[in-house]
Amino acid sequence: MNYPVWVVPLLGTGWVVGLIAITHVPLSHFAVGGGLFLPWAERKALREGRRDWMPMLKAHSKFFLILTGVFGVATGVGIWFAIGLASPEGTSTLIHNFVFGWAIEWTFFLVELTTAAVYYYTWDRVSDELHMKIGWLYAASSILTLVIINGILSFMLTPGAAWLSVAGTGNEASKFWYAFFNPTYWPSLGLRVLICGSLAGIWALVTASRIDGYEQPELKASVIRWSSRWLIPAFMLMPVFFAWYIHQVPVEQRGLLVMGISTIGQGVFTQVTRSALITVMSSATIAAVVYFLAYRNPRDFGLGHAVAVLAMAVAATGFTEQAREMLRKPYVIGQHMFSNGIRKTPDVERLNREGYLTNSVWVRPEEKELWAKLDAARVPGAVVPAADPGSQDAQARLTRGELMVRGQCFACHTLDGYRPLRRLLAGRDREAIGNTVKMLYQYEESSPYRKYMPPLVGTEAEVACVVDYLDSLVNVPGAKKGAALAAAPTPVSAPSAGGKTK
Amino acid sequence: MGKSTSLERNVKRAPGVYGWIDERLDLTAITEFACAKEVPEHKHSFWYYWGGISLFLFLTQLVSGVLLLLYFRPGADSYDSVRQITYDIDFGWLIRSAHSWSANLMVLAIFIHMFSVFFMKAYRKPREFGWWSGLVLAGLTLVFGFSGYLLPMDDLAFFATKVGLEIPRTIPVVGPFLVSLIQGGDSVSDVTIQRFFALHVVVLPLIFIGVLAFHLWLVQKHGNALPPDEELKPESERRSIPFFPNFFTKDLAMWLITLNVLAVLASLYPWQLGPQAEPASPAPDGIHPEWYFMSQFQVLKVFGKLMPGALGEAAGIIVFTVAGVMWTLIPLYDKDSARAVQARRATWFGLVVLGAFIALTIWGYADI
Repeated sequence: MNYPVWVVPLLGTGWVVGLIAITHVPLSHFAVGGGLFLPWAERKALREGRRDWMPMLKAHSKFFLILTGVFGVATGVGIWFAIGLASPEGTSTLIHNFVFGWAIEWTFFLVELTTAAVYYYTWDRVSDELHMKIGWLYAASSILTLVIINGILSFMLTPGAAWLSVAGTGNEASKFWYAFFNPTYWPSLGLRVLICGSLAGIWALVTASRIDGYEQPELKASVIRWSSRWLIPAFMLMPVFFAWYIHQVPVEQRGLLVMGISTIGQGVFTQVTRSALITVMSSATIAAVVYFLAYRNPRDFGLGHAVAVLAMAVAATGFTEQAREMLRKPYVIGQHMFSNGIRKTPDVERLNREGYLTNSVWVRPEEKELWAKLDAARVPGAVVPAADPGSQDAQARLTRGELMVRGQCFACHTLDGYRPLRRLLAGRDREAIGNTVKMLYQYEESSPYRKYMPPLVGTEAEVACVVDYLDSLVNVPGAKKGAALAAAPTPVSAPSAGGKTK
Repeated sequence: MGKSTSLERNVKRAPGVYGWIDERLDLTAITEFACAKEVPEHKHSFWYYWGGISLFLFLTQLVSGVLLLLYFRPGADSYDSVRQITYDIDFGWLIRSAHSWSANLMVLAIFIHMFSVFFMKAYRKPREFGWWSGLVLAGLTLVFGFSGYLLPMDDLAFFATKVGLEIPRTIPVVGPFLVSLIQGGDSVSDVTIQRFFALHVVVLPLIFIGVLAFHLWLVQKHGNALPPDEELKPESERRSIPFFPNFFTKDLAMWLITLNVLAVLASLYPWQLGPQAEPASPAPDGIHPEWYFMSQFQVLKVFGKLMPGALGEAAGIIVFTVAGVMWTLIPLYDKDSARAVQARRATWFGLVVLGAFIALTIWGYADI
């Protein structure tokens, strides 16, 4: 509507963000946890007179700087770039509400980046005391970036009643602090801090695994055992914070999580449960494997072992984020904006009345005029006339249907790749497609789609064009244009008052 | 005279419950024995874990299989009961997926174990019976997989079983009789499910556990074999670690990693259930056996194309039989490092078998 639609064939826009996030999330959490790990380890080494730890810590800080300062930063910017394209309405809402928060985050971020570089380049060049201070400054600034960004990320799942009461009024910023310290803020922060600590320990194990256990058995054992202990808080407290987090999630979203316990049906949405399961199982496995492989056998703990642990940690982190993202369905901002950028209120009601494409700034005025004329020529109620497939009306209907599908479905679907419309609708005739579209349009309380899909919005005529287009995708292979209209017409009635979104 | 046990030696024991049990069962003797046992440590040590991983996956099969038994109803209700497990019962899908995935992973782990044993020449004297008992276990695992595949009785299971039974049917003279005996008639039916079920949950486990016990006893008796390049090293340059706790804890960690891989696969790609089998309907396009039978299937297909009719089938069977016999008897050919020519030829033979298996499997999938 207000922004052009970004179409990524096969992969879909969500996966573009997802692929960048798979790299970014473990690195950004490592940036926070590792920032705490380094000065803490240096402090321990200095207090205990363990100068033999310093070369390892220096090597680790170089590895840390490259990994977080280059790959972490590049993927962080990449995420912003990608979400701006994938979900411009959602990103715009976040910017309008949290611009002040982001300004603060960027300040901490600049301090974090600078001190990370200074920390590495001042090894053996400044006094121990000053070097430690630089390290602590880095740790504090990196934790503060997390403290800020967590408010924005958790807001997207649970904006909270106070913010929702002013959403769409233009006064949203007046509830900034309510939105920031939203219902899932604290459990989410706790979980993320625990993940940061675990990742710090795991990345340190990667560096420590390269110490020769036969040449320097004592050094390797001491570093590995100390690094392994960084996983203990997560192992002990994660279940508590996880339970708290789930308790704070709205009942509707929790329903999505429960659905996958009994079934693998319902499309890919039972994936939320399965992703959560992977998180739980992988986290437990990591703790046990680190104990058996690293803590009990530090001398033989090699790079292969460390990479195996890291791979499981990346999987656990990735699936946690995926579960969090999917838990938000059908919203991109909980209870406010659907995943296709349409606001629950007042967009749904308004667009059903006025039309979706009518309100789009990316449709040419002359096209809008033509479509209005063609619609007016029809008898009200007879929504889909059997038209000549080659006629101007038929071509216009397919174009409108395609634009509707791009605007409202492509945030989550592709034609032939991820969540492919063609395959999901395969085997359905025009009537069955019409019924599916009708269910999405009427959006009754009893509709199974309500759990994870936004309503389809637009006028009856626009929605009928969606049926035409989808039917042409599925039932007329190789002859997309026109031929679909030869099939029997499918009347699509407007949503009843009771069936509207609340 | 045998060694005295720790009970007889009046060993000092731990206090508490463990000490009480130890005093009666002499657990200390077991730990002492395990601590004294050494496992070689070298650049090929990674391959030592695959036997343990195979064992772990077998245990997973047992546990998940027993859980599936709580709801599975063999015979005419097979399909409905599996549908119920997959789509209605809490975490039923997880147990079924874990069972199916661990079956596949077990076959893979056994293959890796078998080829690593082969290339490390661990079949040489005195480990010949270890090799043969391992081959029996591998064969039994394949039969496990085949008999379990039919049980859900969806269309894929039904037609894949029909295709799979074409392989034993080609055995001269006894083939058709054998297939008829297995499937309980002229075609795959509810009776076949009953027979496969009995085979899958009673007959095969009993035989498997017996052979497995023998195999493990041999492993324990002979210890881990050194690969030829390690054997050449002087004793002083060889490294080893105690089986307990060092190797044992690492083994446990490998089991946990395997469990995690299994959990990820079962959760990410849960085993789906297709439409109920309709024996009267034509087989869906591209029906094929599971991946571990694909190479044999492809060989039969190729020979069938080159030599249509019984001649092609006979040629295929001859190839399998000759290769199988050579594979089995390799310990009698490549006996020790002193015979370099035989050792080299055996290695080349192994590489050809491995290469053919991989190439034919890929070819089979590309040819569907």
